This record gives sequence, C-alpha cells and structure tokens, in this order.
Amino acid sequence: MLEGKFDEASLLKKVIDAMKDSVKLCNFNCTENGISVQAIDDSRVLLISLLIEAGSFEDYRCDRNIVLGLEMESLNKIIKNGNASDMLTLVAEDSPDALNLIFEDKRRDRIAEYSLKLMDIDQDFLKIEDMKFDAVVNMPSAEFAKICRDMKTLSESLQIIITKDSVKFNSEGDFGSGSVVIKSFTDLEKTEESVRITLEKPINLTFGAKYLNDIIKSTPLASQVTIKLCDKQPALFEYQLPSGYLRFYLAPKFEDEE
Amino acid sequence: MGIKGLNALILENAPKAIRTGEFKTFFGRKVAVFNPSSMCLYQFLIAVRQQDGQQLTNEQGDTTSHLMGFFYRTIRMVNAGIKPCYVFDGKPPVMKGGELEKRLKRREEAEKQATDLKETGTAEELQKFERRTVRATREHNEDAKKLLKLMGIPYVEAPCEAEAQCAALAKAGKVYAAASEDMDTLCYEPPYLLRYLTASEARKLPVNEIDYKRVMEDMELDIDMFVDLCILLGCDYCETIRGIGPVTAYKLIKEHKSIEKVIEAIEANPKSKYKVPENWPFAEARQLFLHPEVLDSDKVELKWSEPDVEGLVDYMVKQNGFSEQRIRDGAEKLKKGLKGSTQGRLDGFFSVMKQSNTNTPAGKKRAGDSKADKGKKKKGKK
Repeated sequence: MLEGKFDEASLLKKVIDAMKDSVKLCNFNCTENGISVQAIDDSRVLLISLLIEAGSFEDYRCDRNIVLGLEMESLNKIIKNGNASDMLTLVAEDSPDALNLIFEDKRRDRIAEYSLKLMDIDQDFLKIEDMKFDAVVNMPSAEFAKICRDMKTLSESLQIIITKDSVKFNSEGDFGSGSVVIKSFTDLEKTEESVRITLEKPINLTFGAKYLNDIIKSTPLASQVTIKLCDKQPALFEYQLPSGYLRFYLAPKFEDEE
Repeated sequence: MGIKGLNALILENAPKAIRTGEFKTFFGRKVAVFNPSSMCLYQFLIAVRQQDGQQLTNEQGDTTSHLMGFFYRTIRMVNAGIKPCYVFDGKPPVMKGGELEKRLKRREEAEKQATDLKETGTAEELQKFERRTVRATREHNEDAKKLLKLMGIPYVEAPCEAEAQCAALAKAGKVYAAASEDMDTLCYEPPYLLRYLTASEARKLPVNEIDYKRVMEDMELDIDMFVDLCILLGCDYCETIRGIGPVTAYKLIKEHKSIEKVIEAIEANPKSKYKVPENWPFAEARQLFLHPEVLDSDKVELKWSEPDVEGLVDYMVKQNGFSEQRIRDGAEKLKKGLKGSTQGRLDGFFSVMKQSNTNTPAGKKRAGDSKADKGKKKKGKK
C-alpha cells in the first residue's frame, strides 16, 4: 500500500509540468524511501531521472515496492484540476489497477478525489554509471532559462564554452549570432543569485536548443540549477527538490568525424 | 521478396522486439538503405506518375519518375536528420534464378495483357497492368547513382545481395540500422532493421524498428534456427515443404532445431502428410544466408558531402526537364541537413538494461498477473 501526502500539490504539479513535454509514459517506482522515475524521450537524447524522497512528503508510507505506469498527459490533466495550495495524497494498493489522487482544500471542507488508470509500460532502463565531470556550474535557474530561450531564437544549437571563471553560451544562426557570458559571482545576501564555476578542464560542447527548452520547464522547481559537463559526454542538469532531485541527462551534438 | 508470414510470426511471438516510432525520431542515425533495382526504384517507377498513368518522361522520352521519387525521398530523410546510404544489388545469387525467372514471366504476361487491353479494356484496367510491366533497368540504376553522387549521398555496390551488405554495414557499426521492407534482411543479423523508412510520407506509416537480438531472445531461437525457419517459411532461394505454414514451421524448428532434423522426423513418421521436395537445396540456401558475399565493411567508406548544386541543376533541369526552382530548393535542404553537427544519443553512452520493474519483488508479482490484467487495463484506458 502506498500512501503519500504532500503538504502542497504544487510540488508534484511542477514536477509533472516539467516532465510531460519530454516523455509520454513513465513508470513511477515507489519504495519505502520515496518515489523514483527514470524515463527517456522517444529519440533517446534526453533522459529524465526523478527522485522524490520520503522527506518531500508530509506523510509517506509504502510497505511494498509498487510500480505505477502512468501516462503523463492524463496525469497532468488530473493534477491541473487541483489547486497548488491543496493538500495532495497519492494512494495505491499493493497490486494496483489505478492510482488515486485526493486533493484537500485546507481552508474549506472540500475534498476532490480522482482515480487514474495504470498502464503496463515496457521501457528500456538505462544504466547510468557514476560519471566524472570536468566542469560544474551552479547558476540561477531563471537566468539559465532566459539564456536558453534567447539563444534559441537564433539557432537550433547552443554551444557552451567554459574557461577558467566564465561560461559562454554561444549561438550561431543563419541570420546572425549571439552569445552570453556569465562569470563567477557571489551574492552573500541572495545566495540563490550566485554563480559558481568549478573547472578541471575547459569545456566546449554543443546541445540541441529544443531539448534545453524542455529542460528549463523545470525552472519553477528550484532557484538554482546545477550543470555538470564533461567532454564528449552527456551533460547533467539538476534541479534540487526539497528532498530529492529532478535530473536531465542530455546527449551533446557532435561534429561529424569525416 | 521477403519471407512469408515472418512479420506476423514475430508480432505474435516477440512483440516487444518491434518498436514503432515516428520518422523524425530517427534523426542523427546513419542508415543503410537497401535500395536495389527491385525495391525503391520499382516503387518510384510505379508510384510517381502523371494523372493519365503515364510515366514522367523528359524530352527524349526517357522515364524520369524514379529520379523524382529518389530525389524527394532522400531529401525527406536528410531533412529529418537521417543520413542515408544506399546499397545497390550486385549480381543475383545463382539460386535466385528460379525466383527471378518467375518474376520475368509474370511481367511478360502482364505486358501481353496490357497490349491486349489497349484495344478493349478500360483505362483503369490498363493502368493496373501497365504498372505490372514496370521494370527497373540498368539505366535506371545508373541514373540513380549519378543523382546520388550529385546529391552528396554515399552509395555502396554490393557484390551480391544488397540486403546482406546493408546488414553487414550495420553489424560493423558503420551505420545504425539496415532499412529494408524485406524481412529476410533479418537473416543477415543486422542489429536493427527499419521497415517503412522509405515508405512515402502520404501513407503516414510509423517506422518499425525491429531489434534483432530481442527477436532471437523472445522467440528462443539462435541464428541457425532462425535461418532454417525462414527457409521453411519460404525465401527467394528455394521452395518450401508443402503444407507447412508459419505456425507449424515455428513449432517444428523449436522442436527439432534444424531442417535436417525436421526432415528426419517427417520421414520417420509414415503418417506424416508433409512431403519434402526432392533434391531440396535448403543447405545451399542456408549458406547464402549465413555466409553472404559482402564487401568488407571496414573498407567501405561512407562520406556525406555537400551537394553539387550546379551539377544537380544541369542534370535534373537541363537534361531531365525538372523545375529549376524545385531542384534548387531541394539542394538547399540537402545542404542544411548534411552540414553541421549530429545530435548524439544517450544509448551511445549508457548501457541499456532490461526493464527496471522486473527486478523488484512487486515487479515480479506484477509481471505474473499483468498478463491477465493487460487486456483489461488497456481496454479500460481507451
């Protein structure tokens, strides 16, 4: 039996909102430690790894491991019906046919209950080895989102170049080019505004702007985003949850070897 | 021309080996397109016609339907980020003679009927038979190669069967998958087989990606058994045992493991209603599948280069009478699609594991009862 109560539905709302455009079907694995998801988009370029630890819930219990196969679009429809400030409880039996979602208005006596049918999802699972990264950037998520959006107006690709203390986002398009450079910066009063760059090797990687624009849908989840990069390897974009994370692994673009 | 009933058999016994995807999800992939005279060219020759059913021709009256189809379909792939490489058939294996002869005969018959019908038949009937008379000639092939060269698309001339070469290229990692409509390509062990990749856009067929390993695993066959199964189902090289259909063939191969044993079993059973053909050359056919004549993939160099726009204009517009604007637009698309970087994929970095939920206790339990639930749930969903 799974019973997980969020103090506010907003967390799950944001998480689903961040994921629903990238993946259609997801297996939610529920264990005693929390709920985790690994899902990959159809073209196998972007992988989403979600962990909502028990600590993110007001109350959480899951006696046996349960897999919930959910269709994101349907889930999103239901989740949208609840208010962000509602208390949200997820309930599922041990071998469930459906996931029940209960929204409770805290001020009024109003309870909305939904049930979502489950799917059998046959999904490949990618094994992610412990990756070593050459560069780690922590920056305000809103700033990152703006850069991705701005650069996408020019080109389908966004180049990320990291040298000592600066990150350059570069975009070359048909009608022009543009770039944004940000430098390490510590704001003691507003730590969430800080930019921190840790670098072992300089980085020069190119990513598809379309995927980055899917990733930045997670911006409301956290004030900071952590970007981990390594030459010729998928990059990791991480948004911290109160207890857990939403991670995106994105394969870079390559210049052709020929 | 493929193997009868194999697709249905795989669908039935290894449904998870077939993944359908939209055309555009294959971007960034290099694909060896099986494109011998008999497949794509035929399709184009048949499909691309004027309204009166006549083929497109240039001023000299040479057919140009195939060039048109070729040009646009290649651009469609490049546009979607797929890098195609065409493989042309070489000489047919001797054993295919019988099959080819049959096809020739059919065509001759159709030609005759078409001439007869010209006098008496309706336009519709006439069209039907005229389509059957289509033949891809050596010139058509040469035209296609010339066009590809100008477009900057690589092609390979297989020493023998093109499907085998496609599979070999995919096996060697030169390309991601072999694209062919023929199921017998699977006998040459390509890691992935893409079907309907070259189907026309109008048909809106999703591309089928068949995972070779998964087929073997789920059908519980190895390559020897699989090839034997295909021979029993009916391939281009030799006849089959009369009365053995796909289901029986699969059952027999699973039980007896090889054709030899199947024959033994049939002969040992006097009551058997099956009759093994005399001098049945199944062993030779098997050899053709298991050890096809192919070029060494390491020596094959695939290079996608910029299209020769002026060359294209000269060839397509001046010599074959296509609209200059269209050709230039097409060339522009080619340029855009082929240059620049390719999107990488995660499966190149992370190893794919089996389904995640089968290793949890709950997963196991679920896997057991999910079969019963599956239909119900899916139905409930819709």
